[in-house]
Amino acid sequence: MAEQQDQAFQVKVGPAESPLTLTVHPAAGDLRPWDNDSRLRTVKGRHQRLEAPQKVTGSAKYTYDVSLPGMLWAKMVRAPIPAGRILRIDTSGAERLSGVKAVWTTDAKLVRFAGQDIAAVAAVSQEIAEDAARLVEVQVEATPFVTDLEEAMTPKAPLVYAEGQPPALAKAPRQGNVVGPLPPPTLGGARGGTRGDVEKGLAEAATIHEATYRLAVHTHAVLETHGVVAHWEGDRLTAYASTQGVFMVRAALAEAFDLDRKKVRVISEHMGGGFGSKLYPSAVGSAFAIVACRLARQTGAPVKLMLDRHEEQICTGNAPGAQMTVRIGATADGTLTAIHHRAYTEGGIGQSARTGGPAGSMYPECPNVKIEEHDVFTNAGPTCALRAPGHPQGAFALECAMDELAHRLGIDPLEFRRKNDAHPFRKAYYDVGAKAIGWHRRNRVPGATPGPKKRGIGMAHGNWYVLFREAVAVEVRVHRDGSVELFHGAQDLGTGIRTALAAVAAEELGLRPADITVHVGDTQYPPGGTSGGSTTTNSSAPAARLAAHQARTRLAALVAPLLKAKPEELDFVGGRIAVTAEPTRTVSFREAAQKMPGEVIVCVADRKKQFEAVRQDLAATQFAEVEVDVETGVIRVLKMVGVHNCGTPINLLTAENQLVGGQIQGASWALYEHRTLDRNLGTMVNPNLEAYKILGPADMFEAVPILTEGTNAGNNTSATGMAEPVFVPTLAAIANAVFNATGVRLRELPMTPDRVLAALAAAGKGGSP
Amino acid sequence: MPKRTPENPNPPLPLSRRTFLKTVGVGAAAAGLVAPGARTADAAVLGPDAVPLPLKVNGATHTVVVEPRVTLLRALRNHLGLTGAKEVCERGACGACTVLFDGEPVCACLMLAVDAVGHEIVTVEGLGTPERLSPVQAAFVECDALQCGFCTPGFVVASTALLAKNPKPNPEEIKAGLAGNLCRCGTYSRIFDAVRTAAGRRG
Repeated sequence: MAEQQDQAFQVKVGPAESPLTLTVHPAAGDLRPWDNDSRLRTVKGRHQRLEAPQKVTGSAKYTYDVSLPGMLWAKMVRAPIPAGRILRIDTSGAERLSGVKAVWTTDAKLVRFAGQDIAAVAAVSQEIAEDAARLVEVQVEATPFVTDLEEAMTPKAPLVYAEGQPPALAKAPRQGNVVGPLPPPTLGGARGGTRGDVEKGLAEAATIHEATYRLAVHTHAVLETHGVVAHWEGDRLTAYASTQGVFMVRAALAEAFDLDRKKVRVISEHMGGGFGSKLYPSAVGSAFAIVACRLARQTGAPVKLMLDRHEEQICTGNAPGAQMTVRIGATADGTLTAIHHRAYTEGGIGQSARTGGPAGSMYPECPNVKIEEHDVFTNAGPTCALRAPGHPQGAFALECAMDELAHRLGIDPLEFRRKNDAHPFRKAYYDVGAKAIGWHRRNRVPGATPGPKKRGIGMAHGNWYVLFREAVAVEVRVHRDGSVELFHGAQDLGTGIRTALAAVAAEELGLRPADITVHVGDTQYPPGGTSGGSTTTNSSAPAARLAAHQARTRLAALVAPLLKAKPEELDFVGGRIAVTAEPTRTVSFREAAQKMPGEVIVCVADRKKQFEAVRQDLAATQFAEVEVDVETGVIRVLKMVGVHNCGTPINLLTAENQLVGGQIQGASWALYEHRTLDRNLGTMVNPNLEAYKILGPADMFEAVPILTEGTNAGNNTSATGMAEPVFVPTLAAIANAVFNATGVRLRELPMTPDRVLAALAAAGKGGSP
Repeated sequence: MPKRTPENPNPPLPLSRRTFLKTVGVGAAAAGLVAPGARTADAAVLGPDAVPLPLKVNGATHTVVVEPRVTLLRALRNHLGLTGAKEVCERGACGACTVLFDGEPVCACLMLAVDAVGHEIVTVEGLGTPERLSPVQAAFVECDALQCGFCTPGFVVASTALLAKNPKPNPEEIKAGLAGNLCRCGTYSRIFDAVRTAAGRRG
């Protein structure tokens, strides 16, 4: 069959204040994208989450809540020390304990981090499984280890991987535990990166700022720990998994057990938080899902294996700590001439995240940019994706450096950015954000507030990319009784994808989102992507729109004769189908459905190809107001304003919620979170939720979410992602506000009271070290 | 403590539980091991094997057969199928397992099921159903005071307890009332909105 020609449409897109006309070329069969002029009835509304009634009453079933007849509980045993040779794993004691049904032990010979998989047991109760795990004896001959980033970079540091033995990493030079400089990343088409000549650019600068910024390792600390319930029926495997990708888990389990993928079903009906840590078949530092499936096959019983909080903190991934040196220069009038970003990030035993994205792409007008990124191995749990991998860290360094340079140039930091920023969306953000935070209230002279409680205001930018997956499909069923169901395999991480898909389908069908029953998170449904990198809405919603549109077309054809009109003359609105030119000539949606020849109309649509968009990157700007008590060193965030754009916000109620959530997680990193490893033992000191402190209700600030108007095109809904960019600028915005409050710069996160006091003392501004 | 082995999974303690209780005389600990109300030195020792415990949950009494070491949270989740209260930190740091204990919010992970005998337990399931939401639950839905929802049952129960004591809390009182609960998705401002909304409806 000959390739069908793309279509061509002219659309009005971009910021509402400064729109532009763009010619887009969607694939044949796709729809004209919604644009700034589209009059939408349901999309862009505020819709209650469809699953909220289940979630607020405790009836929503998460993986942790799954219980099957005859189910066993499994529990894993983990390496107690960070490095060594495994001499012996003795499970005999565990096996003799009454109620224990099976054990598993690792084939690995070496331990590289405290928390590595060693053994597992399956028993008839959660308590007996825990007892049995304690009875497993592990003998490890300890070898030297290193857990500190800067110590790992020294020539004499113990090697996490012996020469010639690293895991498959990017082709990059390696010295000791340091790998790099790394080749440019491949993910995302808009990363800019190295260009021009940084030394020449710095020579042209009137003022140069250079500083090193550091931050700690952060854990995801998701509330529902990683876990799986494995259930074999013959050679068919069903796995209930707390995952960001049911199809990814299916592929991995099928491969591990040499099964046809169709024989594996993975279900994730509700999921208690992932933030990147559940982008793996099991977890980045554990193979627990495979182990659970093995134990289930061995015992012939369903097996439930949920990690406990301690395990969750040590082996399911983390965001890398980093040491980033930024050199940045500008002319006297504030024009950037060079950005040099050199980073060493802490990957644990795994590959780290790249922090150079913001430096490479935030200021594309800057002619001279150099990005040098390095991974550093340590004997600690491996890093994995965490909400905009590397970008909160990189933006912290870059945007603090921008603030410092602006201060030295004597230019308002906001004006300094405006001068160097060409992003059409972000240019529209400055005034709205400045007004919402009250930018004029900031200290002209940082630290000038009298008294011990000093207030200040700061801002920062962030970025991410328009990412999407195309191999995605949605099924819409309209039943004879007028009820509508939507099926899609992708999982809902808490972002509200059920409601977003319902809103898009409801827009086409003239219904309310609540009229549509949405089924997600199951590999039996049409394929959905793995949810990572802000991809789910912009991957799945366009397919939902197309499938619903097909159903609309079928219904229109059914009722057109009845209404004595042509199908294309009909409008679907308010639960009715009406003749557009004569709105009183209508039938109800239910009456129309009753005209169908069979019991159900089934429409399945693939997501069509991505087409032209205003931007391939996502802009973000946030403002923070803080209060710093210079006597105690305690920082409180008082207010945050986030100005963002996500193309068409499918559901404003949930999108704004997600925006504020990003600010909260960012503030939590900036002020509190710090994975602490014992220097002498190499084990985590705070593998819990009381000493690994995350921001709680008492720390909460006034949060102002602002989603600016403006569509982006690229797909038929003109929506983009949302989850990552809302988290990227927060750290620097808060750090810059602390500087404005105190006149003292903190270049290391988290900004705990001891560090605040030490910095104040060093600057001769009170406090004590 | 003596080592626990397969041959002797429950070795005698250096002190018997009875002497321990006599020596320390901790009311709360004793209350859990004896019949409700009685706090005598002749307390019956329960376990280590499973024992039947009558638990009054959401207005009805259910007898669970569990080892005395089983927490209230696990008795509810694994033995009564009430999985609304979540197992998250297992040490009272996050509040996701909050239930009402004679009307007071407690972390069910920090309490043994035996300690709940003779007391009224209300879980999130006992506050309302998807068809008949309680005022607090309805406010959570309206305000979108959740994302992934894993912390939500704990916040709903804690908010219910707060409003029962203080029907018109000011913003600082709301923060203080919910300070024992954590949300990782970052929905606090929406939760505060929901509490204010529910408070406003009480007239």
